Order: sequence, then structure tokens, then C-alpha cells
Amino acid sequence: MKAVGLRILFYLAVVLLALIVLLPFLWMLISSLKTQIDIVAWPPKFIFSPTLQNYYKVFGEQDFIRYFINSTIVAVFAVGVSLLLGLPAAYSIARFSQRRLAMVILLARLMPGISFLMPWYIIFSRLGLMDSYVALVLSHVLITLPIVVWIMSSYFETIPLELEESAMVDGASRHYIFLKIILPLSGPGIITATTLSFIFSWNNFLFSQVLSMEKTRTLPIAVFNFLSYADIDWGGVMAASVAIMAPALVLTMIFQRYVVSGLTMGAVKG
Amino acid sequence: MKTTLKLGLAMAVTMGLSGAALAQTKEIRVLLANHPYGEVLKAAIPQFEQQSGIKVNVESLQESQLTTKLTTEFATNSSSVDVFMTRPLQDGKLFAKNKWYEPLGGYDFSDYPANTVSIVTYDGQPNIVPLVTEWQVLFYRKDLLEAAGLKVPTNFDELTAAAEKLNTGGLAGFASRGKGAAAVTQLSTFVYNFGGNYLDKGVAVFDSKEAVDGIRYYGKLVGSYGPRGVTSMSWENILPLFQAGRIAMWTDASVFYGQLTDPAKSSLGADKIGIANVPAGPKANSPFYVTSWGIAMASQSKKKDLAKTFLEWATSKELAAKAMEANITMARTSVWEDKAVTAKVDPGLVETRAFVAKNGNPSDRPFMSAVGEARDLIGEIIIESINTKGESPQIDQMAKDRAVKVNTLLRDTGEYGQ
Repeated sequence: MKAVGLRILFYLAVVLLALIVLLPFLWMLISSLKTQIDIVAWPPKFIFSPTLQNYYKVFGEQDFIRYFINSTIVAVFAVGVSLLLGLPAAYSIARFSQRRLAMVILLARLMPGISFLMPWYIIFSRLGLMDSYVALVLSHVLITLPIVVWIMSSYFETIPLELEESAMVDGASRHYIFLKIILPLSGPGIITATTLSFIFSWNNFLFSQVLSMEKTRTLPIAVFNFLSYADIDWGGVMAASVAIMAPALVLTMIFQRYVVSGLTMGAVKG
Repeated sequence: MKTTLKLGLAMAVTMGLSGAALAQTKEIRVLLANHPYGEVLKAAIPQFEQQSGIKVNVESLQESQLTTKLTTEFATNSSSVDVFMTRPLQDGKLFAKNKWYEPLGGYDFSDYPANTVSIVTYDGQPNIVPLVTEWQVLFYRKDLLEAAGLKVPTNFDELTAAAEKLNTGGLAGFASRGKGAAAVTQLSTFVYNFGGNYLDKGVAVFDSKEAVDGIRYYGKLVGSYGPRGVTSMSWENILPLFQAGRIAMWTDASVFYGQLTDPAKSSLGADKIGIANVPAGPKANSPFYVTSWGIAMASQSKKKDLAKTFLEWATSKELAAKAMEANITMARTSVWEDKAVTAKVDPGLVETRAFVAKNGNPSDRPFMSAVGEARDLIGEIIIESINTKGESPQIDQMAKDRAVKVNTLLRDTGEYGQ
């Protein structure tokens, strides 16, 4: 009897916690299907005739497909560049204990992003790179590279050194070991780093705000298209937010298993 | 790795070259705000391009993004902006001090009210063409006032009495912004009507007895009869409450009238919404009447001739008349005198505007470079006043302390006593 009571209590607690986390999302989803009048109605309406007009505004009136493509291009290339540079760097940090280098990379992440904006703006505008994907990708690498380096360096440390030593005995070079032994063993870690850095780039507001213009505008900036002077189109904001969240959510759901194991992998290293 | 680097460099060089090539065509870059007048301009720009042969690259941004972007571009001295929309009271002082506006000596300002021009004039020359004005009004629910047997309040005593009578369970008798810095503009009329001011000749004077009386009265009214949690509310919170029928009276800028009467945004019905002048205070009757948006040329622009052509067109009387039809309250005097135009504008706006054009105060905030910091400081007094319904003994001391701090801000930027 006591066990049943405890179990009920447990599930109640689970439901409560889930509600706290999920309610804002649920609210967003519901509001995205409401008219402006229903959104502000008091008491809140739970039964209403749903409308797709907000989604029409997002994809029909506003050019969200283009913003979507922009965000994807920027995130994919930023993550790609970060993996290209970050994986070897992380390996080197892990194997040669380059703690100081790791700190410098982390420092770049810890510094307030706004301090990079002015120098970047000067550099990119002198190079004629404003409103180009190159500028945005390079700025986003600042966010994604440290994530890759930090997750991967602790991940590499968990791979037994003996594997490499036996390969070396067989005459394999460092490059060969890295490419043929270490990388194939690092699948979960790489997926974790990719997912997290992709999401950080996808959600970045500050850099895109100043370095993008009409042509390269990314999604987080485009949401503000629904905020006019003294007028907020809540339905449009909600529908746009749902649309923006969807890819990140799907990505996380698919790779969640790896993300959790990838994160803990670094945590328990001896 | 080397190939990537080369590729990157090659891309950089090509894009740099194409950028340089573009500069030779007749082309300008214009930054607009997400604002109804920005929409009017955007819709009409293709026509302008055809007439003038100038290609206009428009970018439309939310107001705080616009300020961030302009500030970054101008501060790094590498901006390619030619014409931009700007907020004379929020950005004006800072931008003018840094000489980011191109002085508009040759522009004809005779069709603009003198006080809207004086506030954009620096070193004897206007820097901004005023576009849109707004003023403080009292929105009220006709049906509720009638049911309670109340007349529209015309002075602060009547306002208090009406707010008290209307304030019942689910209905707030009176609302106005309570969220610190955001409330500073809406408090301004109350301070003026008590005979006070924020600044006087570049010195903070909101610790005077008159100003403090205004702050206390505002706190009493909003604290006693305002909606719950009002100290975290700005217009974006109060507007939906009013639209949902939970507020009986609300003082804010005239710009919200359209959204209260629009059947797509409020289910109340336009016949229930009233608009009136803010009630008179014991010392004065002078609501704010401000230029909320203007348009200017960038001093860093390399194509000032083209920019000027665009500016003249974007501020033309024809476009102003067209915007008025959409209830955008333009700054130009002539459109308000033209019966054919005002016939299409909401009568409530025409009447209240006629009053403020004579009696209005051209500023709704401490008009200085560090306006953001100053608003935060004054906002702290407002929150204290609302939380204690205007009773707190600390308010006088807080006002003195914050005035000293605002004076320090003024000294830091060399604006003290000017």
C-alpha cells in the first residue's frame, strides 16, 4: 500500500516538473494558433477556433524560408569550420596537455561578445564583407569553436592511450592515428559537439544583429519583424518562434542519447 | 587546410571587388524602423526608384536593433548608411554630439511646429526632419464611465475619484506604465501638470517639491487603482489588458488609439473606447507632445546628393497626407489644417492634437545623451512611489540622490548647465 502511494507521489512530481518546463512551450504553440483577440482574451481561452493565419504571415507575408536558409548556411558552415579546426586542436590539447591553449580558447568564449563587435565591424566593412555569409560564419565560429574544442578534448582524453601506442609500434604516424583510430572512436563526442554548437549558432542574436543585413538576415533577427513601434504581433512572434525551434528540437531529439553520453564521458575521466 | 584558407581569401577578395563596383552606380542605403510610416515608405519606394533612377537598398529593423546597428556603424566610422529613421528624443543628443547627423541647412522647415524643430536643432542647424508626433492622452471605457454615472475627468481630483469608483475586483480603475525606466515618459505629463520638470537648462530638477508631488500622485494613482504587478508593466503589458476589458482608464501615448479601436485586435468595439486630454493638474495642463520619429542623413554618407533627394521625397507632404489616412499622426502642420486630410483621421486624434499643439511640452523624458541611464535612475523612484502608493517617506531623499546622479551624468558628457 505504501509503495503504491509513493509511486503515485512520484508520478505527480514528474508531471508537475514536466508542466513547469513544458507550459511555456505549450502556451507558445497554442498562441501561435490563435487570433490576436484570443491571445489577449481574459480569462485565457482554451477552447477556440484555431487559425493558421499566423503561420501564413511567417511563411507567406514574411520571407521566413529565406531566413531559414540563411540560418542553416551560417550554422552548417560555422560548425563545419569549427570541426575542421577544433578536432585536431582538441586532440593536441588532450594528448600534449596544452592546458594554457585550452584556457585561451575558453577565454574567447567567456569574453562578452559585444567587445568583438566593433573590431569585426571595422574589419568586415573594410574588406567589403558586410552582408556576406563569410562574415557571419567567421563570427559564429567564435561561438562554436570553443564548444567543439572543450567537449572534444575531454572526450579524447577518455580514449585509452594504449590504442595509440600499439598503433605507433606498428608504424602508424600521428596523422594516421588521428584520422583512422581516434576519429572513428569519437562518434558520440563529435555528435554532441556538433549538436550543441549548431544550436548555439542557430540561436545567436548579437553577432547576426550587427553583421547581417537584409540579404543575410538570420531567424532570431527576423522574429523582430513582428515587433513594430508600439505594436507587437504576438501571434506572429509565437508562430515564428515555433518555426525556429522546430529544427533545433528535432536535432536534439534525434541525437539526445549521444549528447548525454558525450557530456558525461568527459565528466568522469579519472 | 591550406585549400580552405585560400578559398576563404579568394572569396573575400571577390566580394570586396564586387562591393567596390557597386559603389559607382546610383544607389543608396536606407535604414528604416519597423514603424507604420516605414511601411508607407517601403510601399512607395519602387515609384521613387522609377522617377529618380536611384536604387534604394532598404533595411527595416526593430527600433532598439536600429539604434544598436547605427551606433556600431557610425562609431567605427565605416558606415555605408545614407539615410535613416531616428528617434530625436532617445538617440538625438548622442548622435548629434558625435556629429553623426548631417546638418540640414537647406531644408524647408516652415511646415513644422516650431517646438518640434527646436528640439532637433544643434549648433543653430536642424539635424533631423520630424516625421511622426505623439502626445499623451487618456483612454477610457465610455460604457463603464456611463454605468458608474461618471463624467470624463478633467482634473486630477476628478481622476482620483473616478479611478476609485471604477476600481472593482477584476477591473483596474486606472493604469499607466509602472516599469521603472519605461514609465518615465508617461510620468512626465504628471510632473509637468504639478509644475515640475525633469531638467531645466541642463540641470536635474526632478527633486523639486512640484516634481516630487507629481511622482507621489502618480504612485498613489497607479499603486492604488492599477492592475496587479503594475511595476513590471510597460505598454506591451497594459495594452492587452485594456483590450481584454480589464482596465477602465489608461494614460499613454496617442499612438495606441488605433489598436484599441481595431476590431481585429480588440473585441471591445470601437464605440466603447473614448479618448480625451490628460486631466489638468493643480499647476498646469501641459501633456507631452513629442516627435517620436524623424529621418536624417548620415554625415558619413558618400552620396549626399542622392541621399538629399531621397530625404526630400520621404518627407514630402503627399506622403504625409497618405500616412494620415492610416492614422499615423504626422508632424507637418499643413496636413492637420487640410480638411480633406483630417476628414479621414479619427476625430479623437484631431481634437486632442489641437489641444497639445498649443499647450504641449516637446519632451517626455530627460533630454540628454545618457537618457537611458537617467531613465533607469528616475525609474527607481517611480517604483518606490507605486509600491508605497506615493506614501514612502524616502521618496524625497531618493529624488535628491538620483538628481545628483543625473547631474553627474550630465557633467560627464559636458551637457551640465547647457
